[in-house]
Amino acid sequence: MEIRPILSAMWRNRTGSILVAIQVALTLAIVTNCMFMAKSRIDFIARPSGMDVENIITVQSLGFGLAYEHGPTIVEDLRLLRAIPGVVSASSVNSIPMSGSGSATGFRAGLEEDAPRETANYYVLDEHAVETLGVNMIEGRPFHDYEILDAGSSNGDMTEQVIITQAYAEKLFGDESAIGQRVYDGLGESGEVVGVVEHMFGAWVSWSGLSQVLWFPRRPTGPAVRYLVRAEPGQLDSLMPVIEKTLADSNRNRLVRNVRSMQDAIAGSYAGDRAIAVVLFVAVVMLFVITGLGIVGLASFAVRQRTKQIGTRRAIGARKRDIIRYFLTENWLMTTIGLTIGTFLTIGLNYFLAAQFSIERLDITYLVGGVFALWVLGFLAVAEPARRASKISPAIATRTV
Amino acid sequence: MLEMKDISRVYRTDLVETHALRSLSLTVDAGEFVAVTGPSGSGKTTFLNIAGLLESATSGEYFLDGEDVSKLGDNRRSMIRNEKIGFIFQSFNLIPDLNIFDNVDVPLRYRGFNASERQDRIESALQQVGLASRMKHLPSQMSGGQQQRAAIARALAGGPVFLLADEPTGNLDSLMARQVMDLLEEINQAGTTIVMVTHDPELARRAHRNVQLLDGQLANPAPFPQSGAADSAAAQPVA
Amino acid sequence: MFAYNLRMARLSLMKQPLLTTLMIAAIGVGVGACMTVLTLFFTMSSDPIPEKSDRLFAVRLDSWSPDEPFDGDLPTQAPWQLTHTDAMALLESPVPTRHAAMRKAVYTAVPDNVDLAPFLTVSRMTSGDFFEMFSVPFLYGGGWDERADENAENVVVLSRETNDNLFGGENSVGREARFGDETFRVVGVLDTWDLPILYYDVNNGATNDVEHVFMPFKITDVREIDGSGNTSCWKDEQIETYFDLLQSECVYVQFWAELETPAQRAEYQSWLDQYTNDQKTLGRFERPTNNLLSDVNEWLQIRQVVDDSILVVVSIGILFLVACLSNTVGLILARFVAKAPVIGLRRALGANKATIFRQHLVEVGLVGFAGGLFGLLLAYLGLMGVRSLIRDFTDLAQLSIPMVVLTILVAIVSALIAGLYPTWRVCQLAPANYLKTQ
Repeated sequence: MEIRPILSAMWRNRTGSILVAIQVALTLAIVTNCMFMAKSRIDFIARPSGMDVENIITVQSLGFGLAYEHGPTIVEDLRLLRAIPGVVSASSVNSIPMSGSGSATGFRAGLEEDAPRETANYYVLDEHAVETLGVNMIEGRPFHDYEILDAGSSNGDMTEQVIITQAYAEKLFGDESAIGQRVYDGLGESGEVVGVVEHMFGAWVSWSGLSQVLWFPRRPTGPAVRYLVRAEPGQLDSLMPVIEKTLADSNRNRLVRNVRSMQDAIAGSYAGDRAIAVVLFVAVVMLFVITGLGIVGLASFAVRQRTKQIGTRRAIGARKRDIIRYFLTENWLMTTIGLTIGTFLTIGLNYFLAAQFSIERLDITYLVGGVFALWVLGFLAVAEPARRASKISPAIATRTV
Repeated sequence: MLEMKDISRVYRTDLVETHALRSLSLTVDAGEFVAVTGPSGSGKTTFLNIAGLLESATSGEYFLDGEDVSKLGDNRRSMIRNEKIGFIFQSFNLIPDLNIFDNVDVPLRYRGFNASERQDRIESALQQVGLASRMKHLPSQMSGGQQQRAAIARALAGGPVFLLADEPTGNLDSLMARQVMDLLEEINQAGTTIVMVTHDPELARRAHRNVQLLDGQLANPAPFPQSGAADSAAAQPVA
Repeated sequence: MFAYNLRMARLSLMKQPLLTTLMIAAIGVGVGACMTVLTLFFTMSSDPIPEKSDRLFAVRLDSWSPDEPFDGDLPTQAPWQLTHTDAMALLESPVPTRHAAMRKAVYTAVPDNVDLAPFLTVSRMTSGDFFEMFSVPFLYGGGWDERADENAENVVVLSRETNDNLFGGENSVGREARFGDETFRVVGVLDTWDLPILYYDVNNGATNDVEHVFMPFKITDVREIDGSGNTSCWKDEQIETYFDLLQSECVYVQFWAELETPAQRAEYQSWLDQYTNDQKTLGRFERPTNNLLSDVNEWLQIRQVVDDSILVVVSIGILFLVACLSNTVGLILARFVAKAPVIGLRRALGANKATIFRQHLVEVGLVGFAGGLFGLLLAYLGLMGVRSLIRDFTDLAQLSIPMVVLTILVAIVSALIAGLYPTWRVCQLAPANYLKTQ
């Protein structure tokens, strides 16, 4: 099949060809950038949290009234929770990791001026925390039950023992083992690192120090307390009403609220990212459909315009598949011209977005994927009009009207 | 009525110049029925387009109804087409989406007549061509002869100073063709000037006067053509 | 002639339903997507209180650490909130017409009716001026007076929803309501008050809802009630007791002032500078003097309430519309070129270029209108989708009447733009070429 006559036919009908090319170019630019941005959001959401998020239930208890006793309530609540069949483990905590609310402060590796100082999310937890969160302890030990202090005036006060994440240990102590080292707060109080957790996320998912976490062995400051309850796999939904009822019945001087899966509790943290990923993905799908239908429309029009010409070609010996091939080739050429322009447009758009809104530089595989997807789309879109063209009767050629 | 002086029309492309009309001079008086004949490529279509103000001559003067129309702008030319010329085409050129009433209505709309005036004119024009009962039909629901009569009604409705007919029976069988020609004669007898372009000597004979074109010039202006002379030009039967 | 053109357009569009549907779909999808994101964008960036946004000022003093700015990325900014000490001092200023200190707290509401379960309420602890300043709509009663502020009286203003929950929607002014351990006298009930952006406190979730109850600020101090908003501290100081927190350099109080004239604003600015200079002699405010007054719109901009993600999506939405329009141009061109013989005929019958142009613009406009209606439906569905994805956006993702009108207008204008070139092309057709044969 000769390309040259097709090119000259396209040149004579250049408006239509240019329109297809522009459309393909814009579609490539938008689709590629959208997919890339959507994927980076999805990657962001999918980062491993280090915790067994799927099997954890969170509960909030808020004491009120003069009859409320904070300390005994927590002890009794935890006893009740751990006794419920299907519950693997439970711990009190001051706030839910990854929920967007939590506390952070700076700690130092020593009292010297030049000792490394780094900020960490801190949590007050108890001796069941490792099992409850489902984190992997790579060095040292969990807290002992006798180390758990009663609630103090502030959740952030230093304790004798602390547990930290590996990411935080590396920031403070470098390659040295953290076990036995001391961590100092701003007032110079210090605690000994008794355990190192391989990985867990802190409070704010967009924060760069998200993996820097420190645990104190203490009960949370009242009158609010939260519980993390780890359920056996598959038991989560059936346990939630049991937990709510058990706690609500046991003590009427407090509100039991937000009994929900940890996934629900932290959903808000990623809601914006998830929404944007969904919006971008929907945009991609719609644009594909619209562009595909547009090509179908223009190709059908081209076929109808050239009915006579096609009939003549058939009359002088073109086979059906020659006609089909003609249209496929013509469309492929237009699409490819569009994709060439679109490649520049894609990179340009990415530069613009990167400059304006701190979007990462485009991963070139997305561009390659977009080009292939649009080639396929163009092929599919033109297939039916081309097939219809091949059905045009050669007898058309001899008709004058 | 219609007066052309030294009309020439040259089509230029990058490579060739084609002289479609060369110094054509022609006068048509009010009430005449003139047939313009000639073989393919003789310039009939160009003559028709220029006479109908669909295109301009390269040089020469053209007076229509006493007005010099050879150097007018598009708007004024559109207006003259609308008011003074009635077109009749070989392929009828009715708008397929519109019924007969609406088809006849098209030029009247551009004229800016009010609704009742349009209604009167449409009805009387359709009456004249014998289609008063078919007003709500679509073109596709009618025979070729009826369609051409509807087209004639459309040409008449605006009260033109002359009708410009292009092979008006070219797409019709002989019976319908005769009916259409009878209708045109009738219209002519009622006072409307008709200029008809055709290659059919049979048709041409029904006109008062024949003008023969050859290579863009008037050939041998005779009041009536010799049948032999016409044969050489218009030998193709209508398909 | 317009009615005639409209009828011609309808006939012509119905002639080729597939192509027409495609055009309407292309415009509809483009406009629908674009308007979905623009609605979010406009609602987020619109002035929440246009009648006095230039007279309300967020007040900030740079009380932060001498070693580093509050926000390393925005070194010229002061902390977003004030220390308790400074907020109380500013309330003594005679300069502003009105001013309010505020913070957030959580209370358990205990209904009188023992059958009803206690429920959690979020309370805005603030000054009596708050209601006047922010043009808060009242259903019953009103705010509290200065004496209630001074004496930390147990008075409360209920949101409409809280009043419904506690009193079944009756006029509860003068009645008593129990929050936590205490009894409060109801002085006012708000009418419905939806703020898409909680502009007076963007520190604690800009898209949060308006609080359930409002109480005098000093109650938290007297009763030692923990706030529930963000607290930021920089100084290493022992905070054992509630009193320690009040005395600390931790910032957790939002502060707004109403200043009616530039002169008043300048006077207040120098009052603030005087205040911080005085404090410097006490060893506080070690950073260069940086006391900032930002009006409502400046404040929302500084706090980047419209964040980058929204702007990215808006850019994509606009490009998306352009892509859909280029699609539409092709389709319109295709159908108009197919109509060339009829256009040639109309020209022969006396239509001038302008007439043909108008006729086809009407046709394109009609496509735009239909596309606009379709786009409206899509925008409605799109916003519903956004609401289901982000719960906080419920007040944001609402179609308003202006947006409905704008959607239709954008669709029609888009269609006209997309149709301009094809229509112009149609007018250039030489009439004679299409009359001979079909």
